[in-house]
Amino acid sequence: MNSHDLVIVGAGLAGMRAALEGVKAGINVAVVSKIHPLRSHSCAAQGGVNAAIDPADSRESHAYDTVKGADYIGDEDAIDLMCQVAPECILEMDAWGTPFSRLEGGLIAQRPFGGASFDRTCYAADRTGMVLLHTLWEQLVKAGVQVYEECSIIKLSKNSDGHVAGLVLYDIKTGSIYPIQAKAVLMATGGYGRVFISNTNATTNTGDGMALALRAGAPLADMEFVQFHPTGLLTSGVLVTEGARGEGGILINASGERFMAKYAPNRKELASRDVVSRAEQTEIIEGRGKNGGIFIDLRHLGAAKILERLPQIRQLAIDLEGVDPIHDPIPVRPTMHYSMGGIRTDKYGETPLPGLFAAGEAACISVHGANRLGGNSLLDTIVFGKITGERVSNYVKGMSTTPDFPMSDVEECIVEFNNLKHRPDTGVKAVGLHTTVATSINLNCGVFRKPEGLNKISGEIDGWRKEYEKVSVEDKSDVFNIDLLRAWELKNQIDLAECVVRGALARTESRGAHSRTDYTERDDKNWRKHTLTTWNESSQKVDISYGEVRTVGNPDYVPKVRTY
Amino acid sequence: MESKKYTLRIQRNEQNSDGSIASKWQDFTVEGLDTTTILSFLEDIKGNQDGSLTFRQSCRSAICGSCAMRIGDRTRLACKTHIGEVVDENGVVDISPQRNQPVLKDLVIDIDPFFEKIRKIRPYLTEGEDSDTHVGASAYDQVNHVTQCIMCGSCYSDCTMSEVSDEYLGPAALAKAFRFVSDPREGKKTARLKALSKDHGMWSCVRCVQCVATCPKDVKPMEAIVKLRTRGIEKGFVKGVGQRHALAFHEDINKSGDLNEFTLLTRSVGIFGSIAEMGVAFHLMQKGKIPSPFPHKAEGIQEVRAMYHELEANPLDVETKAAEVEPE
Repeated sequence: MNSHDLVIVGAGLAGMRAALEGVKAGINVAVVSKIHPLRSHSCAAQGGVNAAIDPADSRESHAYDTVKGADYIGDEDAIDLMCQVAPECILEMDAWGTPFSRLEGGLIAQRPFGGASFDRTCYAADRTGMVLLHTLWEQLVKAGVQVYEECSIIKLSKNSDGHVAGLVLYDIKTGSIYPIQAKAVLMATGGYGRVFISNTNATTNTGDGMALALRAGAPLADMEFVQFHPTGLLTSGVLVTEGARGEGGILINASGERFMAKYAPNRKELASRDVVSRAEQTEIIEGRGKNGGIFIDLRHLGAAKILERLPQIRQLAIDLEGVDPIHDPIPVRPTMHYSMGGIRTDKYGETPLPGLFAAGEAACISVHGANRLGGNSLLDTIVFGKITGERVSNYVKGMSTTPDFPMSDVEECIVEFNNLKHRPDTGVKAVGLHTTVATSINLNCGVFRKPEGLNKISGEIDGWRKEYEKVSVEDKSDVFNIDLLRAWELKNQIDLAECVVRGALARTESRGAHSRTDYTERDDKNWRKHTLTTWNESSQKVDISYGEVRTVGNPDYVPKVRTY
Repeated sequence: MESKKYTLRIQRNEQNSDGSIASKWQDFTVEGLDTTTILSFLEDIKGNQDGSLTFRQSCRSAICGSCAMRIGDRTRLACKTHIGEVVDENGVVDISPQRNQPVLKDLVIDIDPFFEKIRKIRPYLTEGEDSDTHVGASAYDQVNHVTQCIMCGSCYSDCTMSEVSDEYLGPAALAKAFRFVSDPREGKKTARLKALSKDHGMWSCVRCVQCVATCPKDVKPMEAIVKLRTRGIEKGFVKGVGQRHALAFHEDINKSGDLNEFTLLTRSVGIFGSIAEMGVAFHLMQKGKIPSPFPHKAEGIQEVRAMYHELEANPLDVETKAAEVEPE
């Protein structure tokens, strides 16, 4: 059996950054990824990464902006930690070779981003995530870390004491199912954008790590907080970076009116994402949009600036929307982008399930609270990849034995996959059921959440689960059976959808990205707490409980009315 | 815009039990706009016509590099290719897996050989004696185009040299190597140039420009290769056939404005190498194609020399400065 001290799942920024800590600590670390590391969705982050590296800026100011952006439900200990170590973490990436854009004199260039009181977003044109990802992969190659490429995780296994014992893998290239033993597992599997029909995410962002952690007994936190990015391309949902607004792009409605001043008089387009997305959605609902969207206008920036700072955005707009932003405004709309929720951890990435750690979008540490600031997600991955990697490495060093792997898990997985693969043709396809689920959640659990919509969708979940039992696949082969894999992943997406919906229905307030039409105010007295969803094996449903927000007693962090 | 019917003629590949590949073409009729992407059509087919059709894809936005495949006459990213750009007059387009790499299934290739080449150039910043700690505002201007590379393998798939040589590093790996050779902080620039000057390295490129034409991210790998060669020669790595051939060209053009093809071979591959090529020379002689040993001086030789001096004074500017995209 393959055995390692630490297995990291996911080879995006958080996973690879953590792996390097494992190497540094001298433990036997391996990474599992269902796609090649360079295909990881971290590569699609465009605009940049926040760090108070300018002497005129301060780490405290960064932390304050983040606490406020999170709408006072972020965990303050983790936010302080992230903002304190951010500059060193960025400089470390720079030293490893990330080609950041530079100022004359050689300092890393920074641009303004939403919700930030200082221009503190470091960038590399509009491909920051991609160059960071390539840099970490380079370091991974240099360190010789073993990567199980194109292997999906299908079970998080525990020993008889309930300690994590490893994973069951599905090798996409061969179709074989086998165990991989570990003293600890770090989930860095990213988000679950695919749960929403309109999203900026890669099609591989199915939230497998979160779902397996949930089923293994780890709580997920704050799943109702789903970020809608203000500028997803109208037809495909593909991202137009916040950097486009940072560079001076403005939002206009169908009649050409710049509307953000009505909603955020000071920061306008650079208000926090939840605020901008609600403003856009309001314009659309009130009939001032076009084809269900509004526009981002870059024309006044001029061709030279667009070509230098936003070359990729221009090409995407041409390729996917048929619009050249040098000449025309780009049609966009609020689009599901990011999950503030995830596997609940402490500030070092450790979960309540012994031996399980999590980092990046898969985790809820929680530095993003109810609304993430642009430029903080790349930072989250780099910082907590490092911190959690360090933490889990020490954890496994302190373990004298490797937990016994329950081989019955492998048998169960083989049976489950065989049943799914060889189920006689029922005519129920995963793609159809996925469309049903993802369309409903988009409609009923979107930018604004109405009580009737939330009630309707929570009544649909049992039906989805029954329908799922009928799903059959066409592809019967062993090699690269994506048909089978997607059908299996759909179960995870239904689990996660249930967490989002249940959390949203229960939270009778509006905070950050969670905006109820029947409870429009933030309610700190009753709701300044984390939602925790856990899997109930006997009822086969999720249970809801609540957890405290970790505060540090900083008087600046006391909740106030949030305006931009 | 009007919805139209198109035919995607897709190469289906299946692994036999002995590991060999059974290949056939299958037509799928789809309907969409001429701006609909090939990836959307493939997803449509997989979802509604044949769930077993298999291809890689992930980001949908030309940044992850998963979906490079042969579409029409060359390798493209399915996610950014509009059907209207690639169909023939009957609305048909051929789609097949990338070339120069083993096929696993349908449009999916084994990516390991490609990434093995990337690993060979040691794709990471290295400490050493050539390192300069200052990184100025323009430090990356020279490599800006290369850092756009998403490792999709399109260039490798269409590379005419990789088609005939399994050992050639290929355009993506060489472009990546150039990125490190050009980084002010890289400590082993000279050692890298020395390694790249060996067989199957930067001198194996035949400059067919396919990689530049095919790259979906405007990386211009061949331009990186040309720059690497210049730097290799500057560092004195001139012993290989490729370098000697290039220097012989340089010498002839500068001297007479014309090639002395009679002596070119000896100067490139040496006396023994020339003897090995005698068979070819004999055939050429029979056909009356052996050039004169006494080439004449080309007209306007002064201008040629002036151009050469200009080039030598500003080599990097003239050769390869990435052209700005002009807005229409």
